[in-house]
Amino acid sequence: MITGDQLPRRALTWLIACQFAVIVPHLVRVPLWVVAVYLGASLWRLQMHRQRAEMPSRWLRLALGITASIAVLASYRTLIGLEPMIALLLVASALKLLEAIRDRDGYVIVCLGFFISVTHFVFSQSLPMTLYALACTLLLVTAMIALNQRPGATFTRHEPLLALKMLGLAVPMMVVLFFLFPRIGPLWSVPSKSGAGITGMSDFLKPGAVSKLGRSAEVAFRAGFDGPIPAMPALYWRGLVLSQFEDEAWRTLGWRELPASERTLVRPETTGDPLRYRIVMDPTQQRWLYGLAYAESETAGVLEAWDFRLGVLNPLESQFGYDVRSWTGATMQPQLSAWRRDVETSFPENINPRSATWVTALRSRHPDDKSLVAALLDHFREQPFFYTLEPPPITQPDFVDRFVFDTRRGFCEHYAYSFVALARMAGIPARIVAGYQGGEINPLNNTVVVRQFDAHAWAEVWYAGDGWVRVDPTAAVSPDRVELGLEAALAGEAGFLADSPISVYRLRGISAINWLRLRYDVLAFRWQSFVVGFDSTRQIDLLQDWFGEIKVSWFVAVMLGSWAIVLIPLTFWLNRQRVAPLFLPEEKRFVAVTNRLQTLGLSRAFGESPLALLERVRAQLPGDHPLRGDLEAAVGDLYNRRKAD
Amino acid sequence: MQQLIDRAVAGIGSVLLGKEYEARQALCCLLSSGHLLLEDLPGMGKTTLAHALAGVLGLSYARVQFTSDLLPSDILGVSIFNRAEEAFEFQPGPVFNQLLLADEINRATPRTQSALLEAMAEGQVSIDGMTRPLPQPFFVIATQNPIHQSGTYALPESQLDRFLMRLSLGYPNHEAERKLLLRDNQASRPALDACISADQLADIRRAASGVELSDSLLAYIQRLTAFTRDAPEFAVGLSPRGGLALVAAARTWALMLGRDYVVPDDVQAVLGPVVAHRVVPSADYAGDGDALVALLRRQVDVIPG
Repeated sequence: MITGDQLPRRALTWLIACQFAVIVPHLVRVPLWVVAVYLGASLWRLQMHRQRAEMPSRWLRLALGITASIAVLASYRTLIGLEPMIALLLVASALKLLEAIRDRDGYVIVCLGFFISVTHFVFSQSLPMTLYALACTLLLVTAMIALNQRPGATFTRHEPLLALKMLGLAVPMMVVLFFLFPRIGPLWSVPSKSGAGITGMSDFLKPGAVSKLGRSAEVAFRAGFDGPIPAMPALYWRGLVLSQFEDEAWRTLGWRELPASERTLVRPETTGDPLRYRIVMDPTQQRWLYGLAYAESETAGVLEAWDFRLGVLNPLESQFGYDVRSWTGATMQPQLSAWRRDVETSFPENINPRSATWVTALRSRHPDDKSLVAALLDHFREQPFFYTLEPPPITQPDFVDRFVFDTRRGFCEHYAYSFVALARMAGIPARIVAGYQGGEINPLNNTVVVRQFDAHAWAEVWYAGDGWVRVDPTAAVSPDRVELGLEAALAGEAGFLADSPISVYRLRGISAINWLRLRYDVLAFRWQSFVVGFDSTRQIDLLQDWFGEIKVSWFVAVMLGSWAIVLIPLTFWLNRQRVAPLFLPEEKRFVAVTNRLQTLGLSRAFGESPLALLERVRAQLPGDHPLRGDLEAAVGDLYNRRKAD
Repeated sequence: MQQLIDRAVAGIGSVLLGKEYEARQALCCLLSSGHLLLEDLPGMGKTTLAHALAGVLGLSYARVQFTSDLLPSDILGVSIFNRAEEAFEFQPGPVFNQLLLADEINRATPRTQSALLEAMAEGQVSIDGMTRPLPQPFFVIATQNPIHQSGTYALPESQLDRFLMRLSLGYPNHEAERKLLLRDNQASRPALDACISADQLADIRRAASGVELSDSLLAYIQRLTAFTRDAPEFAVGLSPRGGLALVAAARTWALMLGRDYVVPDDVQAVLGPVVAHRVVPSADYAGDGDALVALLRRQVDVIPG
């Protein structure tokens, strides 16, 4: 037995459209069978709609639900975590369609749709995604309007237009909430697969790790400068400092591996005006940030590590923006402790015999550190070394020997690796720095857009008195890489952008498209820094600009309090409107008199007319009883105002 | 005015014994310019009531016995060729009377029934492409046997809706029946004097439209109509025309009792005759229109509470 109103037939079309619209951004994340469930459920429901299929029985629906849950469990091996939860949500929403018979089922689907379209923001908060979510919202509101139509009403353009109008009316409220609603941290956090599906640097370096990034045109971060942008060859975005060679890979030193004396950052002396810029990063699931050496940041949450790099305490789960000041001329660590010198010069001695012999010979000719480094770079420059994304594979452990003397074809990490190894063999403190180099300068808004293929690895060498100095062996081999960027350096090699086959970046040769691309990038940067980057800190800053000094807790209390003051009475008022019928004033007076009569045992029966009550009162109460007159007057007020006037 | 009405009611009562309340309701219907449908078993006094009403109102009167072979022209009239004047001459039918008694209306075919429709709704008829006004005032009193009698055509809702009231008379009480049985001859129906002239009728109608309708009473009527539309027992609720009919009848009823304002009692007095034939019970509700009206009385209070 079906109770309640039937789902209007036409609303079903909108509901199915909504379901497909909200699942689209998730298609890249969910297993293919989820899409099959969507298609199957929609087809089945459409056949039910056309009276060609029966509604699945209660047991079949139960079985489908259980099977779907098991399938999610089997696909993800767990039900805990963001991705399996979303897959479960999608499947549940698809199966709900099968039992959507009444209009309230339609509302359930609409609510699920709103929830699913919110989950998109967990993965991306970009401008296109926001616009898409808005389109989904429009569709969902349209479906709600269709749900409220009379069954059998025909299609009109009116519904989407009405939805548009309603959303338009909601815009002011949205803006107010955006600025004023307290940004409270999440109450709980759902574990997401860390790093999965995210392109970017990893915290160790093996040959081949960086060149992989050369295949992707995804944006790593954007930097908006206050003043003029330094020339391309100066844009070395320092990310990681890799000091430790272990298990045939370079990696960073953990904080715990440091002796207590090395854990604190000794800030270099800074003179002159710094470069000022703001970096907006997409989530990396990593703890390090990027900046031009030497970089300082005053943004809350940004840490400055002992090796002059910037970081955050927790992996970046969402977009992050921070302001940086850089003094490019600052001397980093003019004195080196014995412990650190030991770490920065250590390299396994029993491997790479050819290199070891060669370096020893070279050292005897160049006792000075700087001239030895120059000699090493000269070797790279003068010998037939090639810069390529697709170097021949080199078997460890004699990597340096094989690369320097045999293959001589490599990407930046090959050069940085070999150079640092050779310098360390000569007893010069050296280390690898990984990050990005260069970027695309967008003159329209004075920003540098750094993409994954700008990933780079270079070296830092320590000289007494000068501190850590940047040395880029890649620049010695291929100056174009640093001055013009990767694409020019590779001269049309096929691997470039191989992982981004449809990136608009490929079309930048067409000037109109390039202009549009740069325009869009301006918009995206604004969106990222002003809308997505509007976090609680900025909100408080803004509110302090408007209202003067306020405390966060006080602000939250006022916000919630004022909402409560407005909404709670409104709720009661609306409830009252709906549940209790509105009394006219004269009816209230009449009811007041009958309440007093009730104390005398004369209560009005349900449906008894006031005149009949008056008759009874006249019969039972003495003529001079005050209530008699009161009741007469009240009844007169009810029906005979003319007499009263 | 009150005396006029009391005299008219007494006049009807002298013919139709023991049915004073129903007579008052029927009079209320006509005084509200409404058409009246009398529904009851044969021999319950329907025709007697119609005669009496025509008599006390002093109206020109025609009676048509509806049968299954009755044609529209039998009611409306027909054009006949006059040889002497070489032209068609319109012979007006019984509808051109102030009061038309359509006896056993549900015995006629729908075609004939619908011929009455325009007359009842517009106060005019269209014959041979000419629109002819009917005499004023114009009333239709129709009688019908309950539809489960064989050989009848139930009136469609659209036509039922044009009757302001539907009344059932029911069996007389013990005392009245005794008097009735003692009366010597059924045929010698006493002639009634006209109590209310045409001018007085117009006065009464004017006065009725001035009877006060308070906010509280309007709210009560709106609660009643809303209930018929929302409650699951009703398949078809009260139309806005039904609401207007309720207001008009209640006003006349108040005036007939000498009041210049309407009280809920007035609404309740006319509720059954005005509402019962306009609402349709839903499929899974066992009762008929009268049961629905009873439900309405039970569920809707005169003062919201």
